[in-house]
Amino acid sequence: MKYRMSHRQLAALSLILGAIAIAPIVGTAAEATKAQSAKTGQEQQPAPTQPRANPGIEQEKTVPQIASGKWAGKRLPDGQPDVQGHWSNTIANHNNFTDPQGGIPGDPAPRRRPLPPRDERAPSRVSDPADGQVPFQPWALEKVKEFQANFHNPVKPQYVEPLARCAPGGIPKSLYWHGYEIAQYPGYVVFFFNSGTRIIHLDGKPHLPDNIKLWNGDSRGHWEGNTLIVDVSNQNGKALFGRTGEFISENGHIQEKYIFSPDATRYNYEAVLTDPTVYTRPFTVTIPARKWTEKDAANGWHFEVEHAKHSGKNVLLDHYERTCAENNGGFGLGAVEAKK
Amino acid sequence: MKHQLKKQPRFSKTGMTLLLVASVLVLPLASLNAAAAGVKFPRLSNGKPDFSGIWQTTSAADYDLEPHSNRKDTPPGPGIVEGNVIPYLPKALEQKKKNFEARETDDPRTKGWTLGVPRGIYYPEPFQIFQRANDLNIVHQFGHSVRTVYTNGSEHPEDPWDWWLGDSRGHWDGDTLIVDVRHFNDKTWFDRAGNYHSDALHVIERWKYLDPNTIEYKATIEDPNVFSRPWEVSVILNRHREKNFQLIEDYRFTLDYDDAYPPKPDKQ
Repeated sequence: MKYRMSHRQLAALSLILGAIAIAPIVGTAAEATKAQSAKTGQEQQPAPTQPRANPGIEQEKTVPQIASGKWAGKRLPDGQPDVQGHWSNTIANHNNFTDPQGGIPGDPAPRRRPLPPRDERAPSRVSDPADGQVPFQPWALEKVKEFQANFHNPVKPQYVEPLARCAPGGIPKSLYWHGYEIAQYPGYVVFFFNSGTRIIHLDGKPHLPDNIKLWNGDSRGHWEGNTLIVDVSNQNGKALFGRTGEFISENGHIQEKYIFSPDATRYNYEAVLTDPTVYTRPFTVTIPARKWTEKDAANGWHFEVEHAKHSGKNVLLDHYERTCAENNGGFGLGAVEAKK
Repeated sequence: MKHQLKKQPRFSKTGMTLLLVASVLVLPLASLNAAAAGVKFPRLSNGKPDFSGIWQTTSAADYDLEPHSNRKDTPPGPGIVEGNVIPYLPKALEQKKKNFEARETDDPRTKGWTLGVPRGIYYPEPFQIFQRANDLNIVHQFGHSVRTVYTNGSEHPEDPWDWWLGDSRGHWDGDTLIVDVRHFNDKTWFDRAGNYHSDALHVIERWKYLDPNTIEYKATIEDPNVFSRPWEVSVILNRHREKNFQLIEDYRFTLDYDDAYPPKPDKQ
């Protein structure tokens, strides 16, 4: 009998943890240890055919240029560009939305490595406006500051980052929370995240009625050349963008572009977020991503696969059941389970 | 299997006459095996049946797998267990009775936990099958939980974790998809009546088209810690054909705390 943490147990536990104000601290420790073990795991794996120096979570510091244009690559029988496979962002996790490699503001846990200067870290995920900041209305900016000031000691439920309770990551956070799989079917592009599933409908049906609000919104997409264009409505606004507390509301609207490179090994995500009740103007979020294949070694964060058992010699990848497994209880919950 | 035949046209005199004629012509076919009758249904490019679509049972199985009279919280139902009675070991039957008494609070469904296998299949919410040659991904509206059924010739992993939905490996027997599911945790129930299992649960599913909009789903359930012998359930799954029908996220385990988000302007 082996247990992996489930988000349901975590959801229950985190109510308790949240109440006694420990959740984010445990989460931080778990995250750091997870990153460390991911790295250790990498060293124990057979050498990947495309070796990368000490990948860890923060693989890269820059965003490559990928132009929108025609698609000359492989296509699926239904005509969609074939971009199926395992993907992950290259920059960082959700610790900090606008300074992705800058750590969580006010983190009481000592850093394992000194923080390099700002210009040696990856740029803000906000690519427009040029200052890299979300153009919040004053009231909303105050709420974000309040969240950051209370994050490490969350005396109220709203200061707990909801992903720590295993809520779906939402948009855009799901794209920088572990690796994920993109699968394509006639009429659909589906994202299988560790923290929820996004079904993008390509058939042009109308959005759900306005009063239905969803963690991942309601997505309608179409392909233009190398670019998947997705219109997202019906947000519930609850997911937050990271441990820095930025947010959109249930009045928000997101227009996404997934721009794939000619060899389908990379894409850039560019999304325009609009919300007249929270922002002073629309702004753009940019997130670079790369593909991971059976030629890469699994690494516990970006690429969480196992080699399947089978009689053939080729590598088949398994991805085990996606559960919220670490974020605020990777260690404590084992004890909870054992007590039973 | 006459009941699968019925489409309900508006009844007019001519309509009724036509229906009667049609019944006479079509009814005998219904008793034949779908394949033998030459029934066409969707197939993948590799020739295997394509179960892609949104499915749901009209059965009330989730209330209680076994035959039961009405109760305050349950409509009556004929059950879906072959032979009517689940063959519990004596001690396990005691536990089932305890579960039944505490069903209002202890049913994992009430906490929004993943429903498990086979419960997610006959639970009264839709699920969507996304199928490729090498796998099927089953996305349940309830909890938006995802089960991957590998049909790429791979086997169960050795020394795996325990999972909510087990580890599913499928193969084809003609046009029937047979799925072997193992490595479960012991946290799910089979229904609202407290029928349960241990982490030794082993489920063998058989998925077969009866017609393009109907799947016959059967599951053999064994668990030597809980049951004296394997037993079988069977339900009919119907394709959702309503215009623009789609799954709607039902992450209900967040409902206890999601009022805290997003931040809202302070009330003046």
